[in-house]
Amino acid sequence: MTGASGSGKSTLLNLLGGLDTPSSGTIEIETRRISEMSREELALYRRSGVGMIFQSFNLIPGFSALENVALPLVFAGMAKKERRARAREGLTRVGLEARAAHRPSELSGGEQQRVAIARALVNRPRLLLADEPTGNLDSRTSREIVTLLAELNRTQGLTVIMVTHEESLAREFAARGVRLSDGRVESEETWR
Amino acid sequence: MRIRDHVELAVANLWKRKLRTLLTAFGVTIGIGALVSMVSFGKGMQKNVTESFQSLDLFNSLTVFSGDFMAGDRFDPDQRSAVTAPTGDARSVLDDAALAKIARLKGVDTVFPEVRIPAVVRLNGRDEFRLVQAIPAGVSVSPMLKFSAGRGFASDEENSLIVTDSLLRLFDLREPRDLLGKKLIISSIGFDFSRLNPAGIAEALSGERLPFETEDTELTVVGVTESQAFAGPLPIQSDVFIPSGVAGRMKKLPFSNVWDIFRAGEGRLGYSALNVRLKSPAFVEPVKKEVSGMGYRVFALVDQFQQVRKGFLIMNMILTAVGMIAIVVASLGIVNTMVMSILERYAEIGIMKAVGASDRDVRRIFFFESSLIGLLGGVFGFALGWVVSGIINGVVNYFLSRQGVPFIRYFNFPAWLVLGAIAFSVAVSLAAGVYPAMRAARVDPVRALRHD
Repeated sequence: MTGASGSGKSTLLNLLGGLDTPSSGTIEIETRRISEMSREELALYRRSGVGMIFQSFNLIPGFSALENVALPLVFAGMAKKERRARAREGLTRVGLEARAAHRPSELSGGEQQRVAIARALVNRPRLLLADEPTGNLDSRTSREIVTLLAELNRTQGLTVIMVTHEESLAREFAARGVRLSDGRVESEETWR
Repeated sequence: MRIRDHVELAVANLWKRKLRTLLTAFGVTIGIGALVSMVSFGKGMQKNVTESFQSLDLFNSLTVFSGDFMAGDRFDPDQRSAVTAPTGDARSVLDDAALAKIARLKGVDTVFPEVRIPAVVRLNGRDEFRLVQAIPAGVSVSPMLKFSAGRGFASDEENSLIVTDSLLRLFDLREPRDLLGKKLIISSIGFDFSRLNPAGIAEALSGERLPFETEDTELTVVGVTESQAFAGPLPIQSDVFIPSGVAGRMKKLPFSNVWDIFRAGEGRLGYSALNVRLKSPAFVEPVKKEVSGMGYRVFALVDQFQQVRKGFLIMNMILTAVGMIAIVVASLGIVNTMVMSILERYAEIGIMKAVGASDRDVRRIFFFESSLIGLLGGVFGFALGWVVSGIINGVVNYFLSRQGVPFIRYFNFPAWLVLGAIAFSVAVSLAAGVYPAMRAARVDPVRALRHD
C-alpha cells in the first residue's frame, strides 16, 4: 500500500487492525464484521485475529525481547511457562533465539523489528499489518525484513498488508499494489 | 489476564520507580500510622475503663446520697438564696435506719456507709494527711479491692488496716509485702459536740479553745491493694482503709460538708452517702427506683459507664477524623502518582492495547498498582502506629510511674485493627486508583502509538 503522506494509509491500517473504528461504512475481515464490534470484542480481535508491526517497532523498553514477544499471551491469560515456550519459538522463527534476554535498547533496529514481528505472530493470526516497517531501517536491513515477511507469506500462508514509501521494494515482493490518495483508492494493480 | 501476572506486572512497574513508589507509600504510611495509633488509643482507654469496671464489680454498685445533698437546683448560681439554709426534709437523712431499710430491699447484697475520716497517718516518724475510709470486713474481701499482698479484714473490730501500694513510695518501700505487719498510727481529729453551744463557739472564735481533739490509734497493716488507675466516683476510693468497727470507736469529724455541721447541731446528722452492692446488675433499676422513692438521690455507676462509653465513642470519632485527614491527603498522593504514571506510560498503554489488552486489563493493571501502594502503606503504617504508640506508652508511663500511677497500657491493638488498617489502606488506595485506572483504560491506542 503506497501513497503520499496524509493519504490515509495508516488510518486504513489502523481500521483493519481494530485500533480505530470507522465513522461510517463497514469493515469485514474474513467472516468477521469488525466495524460492528464492541471495544471488548475488538481487543479480542487484536489479540488473536491480527498482528501489527510499526515503523517505530513499539516494543516495551523495560521488557526483554522474550517478554515483549510473550506480551499478547499475557492478555490471553496463558500460563507463564507456556508463554515463554511459545515466545522462544517465535524468536527462533525470526532468527533471534540468541537475543531473547536482551532489552530493545540493546538490539539493532533490524533486530527490534524482528522481535516486533515475532510478537505480532505469537498468537498465530492469519493477517499481519505492517505500517512502514522499514521506515527506520537502512536499505540492507529493510530488505532483510521484507524478505522475512515474504517468506512468512510463502511458508505459513500469512497475509501481509504493508504500507511503504519504497515502491521498488513493494514491486519486488508484493503480489498486489494499492495506491491511496486523499483517503481513496487511486489505483490497484496485480503484480504477480 | 491472570492475577499472578497482574501482581508481577504491578511489582515490576512499582520497582522501576522505587523512589516515587516509596514516597507515595510513605504518605499512606503516615496516614495509616496516625489512624492506627489514634484508634488504638481510643480503644485502649475504653478497654481500661471497661476492665476496671468489670474487675471492681462496679456494674452492680449503687451510691445513695441524702435527698438534699448535691441537689442540682441548690447549686444554681441564679438561685443563690436557696443555698443559704439547708431545708432537706427529715426523711432524707441517711442514718442507720435508712441503711437497714435499704439493706432489706430485694437484690441488695451489702450496704455500707461512706465514711471518710480526715486523719494523719504516721509511719517511721513521717506524717501524711489522708482521708481514711472505713469499710466493713465483708467489703474488704469482695472484688472491690484487689490485693497485691496480704488479706482483707478478719472482722469489723480487728485492729488492722489496709493501704494501697501508692503509699509504698511515701514510706520508701519497694515491695507491697514490705508494708505487711507495719504499725501505722492514725491520728484522727474529733469534734467535741458538747462544745457546740454559744459559749463554746465564743471560745472557739476567740481561739482560746477549739472544739477539736485528736486521738491516736495504732493499727497493723494486714493488706496492700493495687491503687486505682481509673479515677471516678468509686465506692472504694482512698489510700488507707480501716474496719468500720474500728472507725466507729475513733473520734472523728463526722461531716464532709458544711451543712453537716448545722445538721449535727440539730441532731440529725447522717452519712454523706451509702454504698450499695447488689447481687446482680439486673437489680440496678428496681433498687434505684425504690431508693429514689424513699427520697434519696441514687447514683448508679452503670449509668456513668454509659456516659463514659458515649464519651469514648465521640473521642474515637474525633481521633478517627484526624487520622482520616492524613489518609485523604495520602490518597491524593496516590492519584497524583498514578496520573503521572499514565502520562509516562502513555505509549506503553497503547502498545498493550494494540497487542490485545482490553480496557478491563488496563484498568486492572492500574488498580493492582495503586492497591499495592496501599498494601505497602498499610503494613508500614500499622508498624509505624504500633512503634510510635509503644514509645508514647513507655514515655508516659515512665513519667507517671514516678508519681505513683501504676503502669497502664494506653493503647490497644485488637486483631481487627491490624487487618482493618491494612484492608482500609488497600481500599482507600483502590478508590484513589479509580480515576487514573479509568483514564488509562480510555487511552486511544492510535494516538498513543503516534507518540514517538
